[in-house]
Amino acid sequence: MALIELRDVTKAYKRDAIEIPVLDRVSITVPEGDFLGLMGPSGSGKSTLLNLLAGIDRPSRGAIRIGDTDISTLSERALAAWRARHIGFIFQLYNLIPVLTAFENVELPLLLTNLSKKQRRDHVLTALGIVGLGDREKHYPRQLSGGQEQRVAIARAIVTDPTLLLADEPTGDLDAKSASEVLTLLQRLNDEYKKTIVMVTHDPHAAERAKRVLHLEKGTLVEAQQVG
Amino acid sequence: MKFLGLVLKSAKRSKRRTLLTVMSVAIAVFLFAALRAVLDGFNAGAEAASSTRVVTIRSTSLMFQMPISHLETIKNIPGVQDVTYASWFGGIYKDPKNFFGQFAVDPEGYLRMYPEIQLTPDERKAFLDDRTGCIIGDGLARIYGFKVGDKITLQVGIPLYGQRDYDFTVRAIYRSGGAAVDNQSMMFHWKYADERSMLKGQIGWYVTQIANPDQAPQIMRAIDEKFANSPYETKTDTERAFQTSFVSMFGNLSLLLGSIALAVVITTLFVAANTMAMSVRERTTEIAVMRTLGFPSATIFLLVAGEGLLMATVGGILGIAAARTIVNPRFLNAGGFIPEIGVNNTNVLVALALSVGIGLLAGLIPATMASRLKIVDALRRVA
Repeated sequence: MALIELRDVTKAYKRDAIEIPVLDRVSITVPEGDFLGLMGPSGSGKSTLLNLLAGIDRPSRGAIRIGDTDISTLSERALAAWRARHIGFIFQLYNLIPVLTAFENVELPLLLTNLSKKQRRDHVLTALGIVGLGDREKHYPRQLSGGQEQRVAIARAIVTDPTLLLADEPTGDLDAKSASEVLTLLQRLNDEYKKTIVMVTHDPHAAERAKRVLHLEKGTLVEAQQVG
Repeated sequence: MKFLGLVLKSAKRSKRRTLLTVMSVAIAVFLFAALRAVLDGFNAGAEAASSTRVVTIRSTSLMFQMPISHLETIKNIPGVQDVTYASWFGGIYKDPKNFFGQFAVDPEGYLRMYPEIQLTPDERKAFLDDRTGCIIGDGLARIYGFKVGDKITLQVGIPLYGQRDYDFTVRAIYRSGGAAVDNQSMMFHWKYADERSMLKGQIGWYVTQIANPDQAPQIMRAIDEKFANSPYETKTDTERAFQTSFVSMFGNLSLLLGSIALAVVITTLFVAANTMAMSVRERTTEIAVMRTLGFPSATIFLLVAGEGLLMATVGGILGIAAARTIVNPRFLNAGGFIPEIGVNNTNVLVALALSVGIGLLAGLIPATMASRLKIVDALRRVA
């Protein structure tokens, strides 16, 4: 069953009077439980595509359906609520809030829910346990290594049990060992927890961990590659 | 409530900046509350002035005196119930900086005229019976530690009163029963000062009790007409006008102090707003991340505005606490010109509302900036 359906999605940015095309009539279908890698050179539109899937940007034309929702038609307010419920986003630079502990960073998305303090605590500890950082809950980001920070960011992304995990170059700022650990974790989330993942990367080794890889060039899909 | 922790953590991000912002609001609120207290003090005397008392001074100025013989003339004017008098002594207690009001008064008449000066019958008798006795307001007694029976020596401040020091015995500590009489003054027998005065029988001002306040304009006119074209022409006014003219000796205080308070508050508002805007600019990525996580614009707005509100309110509370502590008779001696000053509950509420207003206004622009942030642009700025 398709979780993501993109139909002729076009995205262009306006800089003064000039329109700069970034994506050109892209159509993709991603089944539930997939682990999709998106590759392409810089400026190919892969991050833009990820932003569109996350609902933090809007297509110029075309439709994006995720689950039962056509997110291209949602209002800003509805889109924010939808993101909180359905999207877990992993950034290249982790983007943890420096003044919050690992626990508080992971708890952040749960503040938007109606869960009690105890329920939130249980969820956070479960998420930190899954990424193997149950003992680092009181640490601040500056007290963690890059790999650990990214794992806390992954815990933050999964703590609400979202429908879709989106990762934008999740290993781009990590050394090889930490990158491998993070990719193993993403694979585990896909295999054991059946999370649907879309990962943008320019690293072929990272892309190898995905079940399927799509290549973007100049805003269009050029080929599809089945991995494994 | 669950977002309060987030607001607190954000405020603690740059402790020095937060502290400076809080302190700037605290100082502004302190100044505002203090200036209002001073203004209220000045106005309280006029507001509490009696409508049945009129005050007569020399037409030239309060600084000049007039003869005691005016007393009988005023007494005989129809509609006048009672007359008393007083003079400004202007002595020095140990050091010129120990400034407080000292009034040479007609003891019996003055106490009769001002029932606001509260004394027990024994205290009253002790004062009246002692030519060198004096009474001290309880506010003044607190400041200098004066007690009944204490000997006080005043050096002469105005050469008219001779060269020798004046010795007094404190015969009572009076309480003020109304704002028309302050509690930071000293009163003693006019005769004691007159005995040594180089110009005998001189009076600073007369206070006249009238039976019917409606007759005040006619009686005031009648008093002044009696002394018209004499070497000692007079100017009679209601007690309220007299109090107000006393205050006006300091210029347009209300406008001056009000302008200072307004300037301080507006400056603080800009400082706080700029600080918060800087803080939001530094947190652009974090705000974009929170928006990505699903935080609605309205929640982001409230978080940033809440931070401004929190800092301003804490600053306001500190400022009010400082004003309550410092602006009171223990620290500030108004020298008998105005009743006891202090930051009253109304001023506390106004100052608190002001700090909340500063917080809301200062947070408005940064909060709008934060809530309108375009997520993709903000994330791209860092990536």
